[in-house]
Amino acid sequence: MSSKMLFYIVKRILLAILTIWIVITVTFFVMHAVPGGPFMSEKAISKEAQAALEAKYGLDKPLMEQYVTYLRDIVTKFDFGPSLKQRGRMVIDIIMDGMKTSAKLGVIAACSAAVLGIVLGAVAAIRRNTVLDKTIMVITTAFVSMPSFIMGSFLLIIFSVRLGWVPANGASQGGLILPVITLALYPMSYITRLTRSSMLDVLGQDYIRTARAKGVSYWRIIFGHALKNSLIPVITYFGPMLAFIVTGSMVVEQIFAVPGIGRQFVSSITNRDYTMIMGTTIFLASLIVIMNLVSDLLYKVVDPRIEFD
Amino acid sequence: MKKLLALVLALTLALSSVVFASAEAEKTSLNVCIASEPDTLDPALNSAVDGATMIVHLFSGLSKWAQDANGALNIVPDLATDLPAAVINDDGTATYTYTLVDGLKWSDGKDLTAKDFEYAWKRAASTALGADYGYMFEVVKGYPDDMAVEATDDKTLVVTLNNDVSYWNELLAFPTFLPVREDVVTNEAWATDPATYVCNGAYTMTAWEHNSVITLTKNPNYFQADSITMDEINFYLSDDANNMLANFRNGDWLMIDDVPTAEIAALQVEYPTEYFVGSQMGTYYVSWNVNAEILPEGCELTGDEAEAARAEIRNAIGLLYDRNYIVTEIGQAGQQPASSFVALGLTDADGIHQFYEVAGPSDEYAGYWNVAEGAYEANWESAMETLKKYYTFDEATGMFTNFPAIEYLYNTNDGHKLIGEYLQSVLAGVGITMNLTNQEWNTFLNTRKNGDYTVARNGWLADYNDPISFLDMWVSGSGNNDSQFGKGAHADAKIYSIDLTPFGVDLKVENGTWAETYDAAIAAVKACTDKDARYGMMHAAEDLLMSTGAITPLYYYTDIYMIDDAVQGFFANPLGYKYFMYTTVAK
Repeated sequence: MSSKMLFYIVKRILLAILTIWIVITVTFFVMHAVPGGPFMSEKAISKEAQAALEAKYGLDKPLMEQYVTYLRDIVTKFDFGPSLKQRGRMVIDIIMDGMKTSAKLGVIAACSAAVLGIVLGAVAAIRRNTVLDKTIMVITTAFVSMPSFIMGSFLLIIFSVRLGWVPANGASQGGLILPVITLALYPMSYITRLTRSSMLDVLGQDYIRTARAKGVSYWRIIFGHALKNSLIPVITYFGPMLAFIVTGSMVVEQIFAVPGIGRQFVSSITNRDYTMIMGTTIFLASLIVIMNLVSDLLYKVVDPRIEFD
Repeated sequence: MKKLLALVLALTLALSSVVFASAEAEKTSLNVCIASEPDTLDPALNSAVDGATMIVHLFSGLSKWAQDANGALNIVPDLATDLPAAVINDDGTATYTYTLVDGLKWSDGKDLTAKDFEYAWKRAASTALGADYGYMFEVVKGYPDDMAVEATDDKTLVVTLNNDVSYWNELLAFPTFLPVREDVVTNEAWATDPATYVCNGAYTMTAWEHNSVITLTKNPNYFQADSITMDEINFYLSDDANNMLANFRNGDWLMIDDVPTAEIAALQVEYPTEYFVGSQMGTYYVSWNVNAEILPEGCELTGDEAEAARAEIRNAIGLLYDRNYIVTEIGQAGQQPASSFVALGLTDADGIHQFYEVAGPSDEYAGYWNVAEGAYEANWESAMETLKKYYTFDEATGMFTNFPAIEYLYNTNDGHKLIGEYLQSVLAGVGITMNLTNQEWNTFLNTRKNGDYTVARNGWLADYNDPISFLDMWVSGSGNNDSQFGKGAHADAKIYSIDLTPFGVDLKVENGTWAETYDAAIAAVKACTDKDARYGMMHAAEDLLMSTGAITPLYYYTDIYMIDDAVQGFFANPLGYKYFMYTTVAK
């Protein structure tokens, strides 16, 4: 690895830490500024009990002090504290629990989306303006424009309720099949379109014409030159997409009752579960920052001419 | 390719599990879904109905809900040999002495003693624990931190209440009153992991896949294990009504506790024997902030006269709404139009009549106004007459011209929005502008509690069959007093009258404040031991409450669920808890 690249990586990591610190700070203070609190419920508890709970979780201290304590616990002990709502459970355990499912779901969905998307996109580009190309484009356009809650409900009704082939809840055996398909369709279609246009662009380049003129075989041109170079936009898209899919899709988890992290994230906000809000936000932010970094580094692998500065 | 691989793998797994399952001995199992992941399964900390359903399968208390041969629900002794009457002491306090049945054990095999009850009750009520339902113990002498509960030996529990309470036996069946063992619950995470979850009921928790499924398995140490017919219950965790229905339709789940509102009409036709509307002791209502100004600009009334006028106006506006329209066109879930605050399902002193049937000023209808379909027009006319006394009415347009614009606050939810829009349209029809504002749940609770609103959507569910559970929330100091009675300017309004002398209580106030009348009446109810007098006073308190017009009940809640025809022996109690332990599934 060149020293230039090492310097780049170190710089990016420092920037990532700064980004996450800003996210923590903004989330922390905005969260506390929002009205309501974790011990608010339809049936009010007594003022004394409320005070006892606030003292127990350190919420009675000045906000600045809470902030400093929180940062210190994360940095020194990697301690995200206990959930204020799911009493007796630690935030880190809840996140890890949800991640087990979300990661499995997300990785399968993202990989199938990438593989299928690249293949379909390449096929469409090679067979440009044929019936095959047009069919692929029409179908992917439909999938890109169809919201996942409609796609999910549609698949659920057909394959689970009407045909009874797969269970309707993510907790059962085989229950992840429909959620994976629902999650994968959008990125697959997007990658198909991305690959197609980028491939068409590459196929029109001079060096492809040169290769052809030299008598290089057709498939070697496609796989050796065109496809590899047309993947840069796909890689740019893939990193953040993986982060988003893996950190959980609220909608898909809801439709199929999948025990992922997405629902936790949303319900923690409604519940004002401060430690859970912080934990899930930090987790999500870190993942996105890391994925962006990884996809930037992958450019270099695909195209050695790219320089970092 | 990977999808295909995943599909093949999943199918193989599914198939193999089917093969293994059928090879096992005849173990009965039931899949149900009542809600999403419970916040807690600690009996003291739980405040949700779904959590309570699971907890009553896991724990046993001194009394329990049971269904008799005729299908009627009763409170019967559970771990107590019987439920004796109280001994009334000289100071009016009431002492109950319970004897535990022999041979009680925890699920880990250790002996269960009366000490465990003493510990559990003191813990549940304590300020330090801060449980939502800690206040259920407020009837006990010394509540919250010095309660008169004592295990005099391993099998005897003695508890002293401030005065005899008619619903005490029912409280004993409430989750907050279930026993827990000290060495178990000192581990704060005890209730989140099957390995540390020690209980004493019909089942033990054998698996909890968070946000996915909780599995309960018959507890061999339960003292009546022979009576339990269902070996295993899987509580699937989902809060998506569409997903629940999909699982019910394809036969995976045999009971679901929620259905999509849009599907209700179709389901009633499609599943006539599997669709149920259960009762629930709750009221959906609109609350007014008594300190919000609604009199027209330039109105000459001031002070107490103004406050009395506001009460009359609020009452009149409550009569403009067509409750039958709300339940049939908007709610669509079998709700009952409400004519009182104390809900349907709470019985009167005789235990037979509904409290609301006896409430209100008239013998011709139940409650404070007539909700019969034909009565709506008359209600509307009389309301308009009242409003015309205070506001300028334009006969040509049929509109009031100087009613100040008001704001209706609700928490973000399609159902609440539809009701808000209906109320808005009714008022718009007579020239009253009501703007709708929605807030996210937690913010909404905060705003409403602080009284930063004029009119707000509200709802209340009782935790036991006694009208006091609906009435004591409106005393000045209550944390649930969303209408702000006796707070701010309202604290000084001297317009309330109450006379409890017919019930043998020395309380007769004319033109008093809220604290002098309502608060005093509730205190008298709580101190009263004579059943008839007590109910009479609760009616008087509700009369006073309803006279303010600040509480506008719209309908009584119902509980909709679906259960497969194959399931026998299932029942639900009036609080909405579902009981699966005595079920069998017909093949």
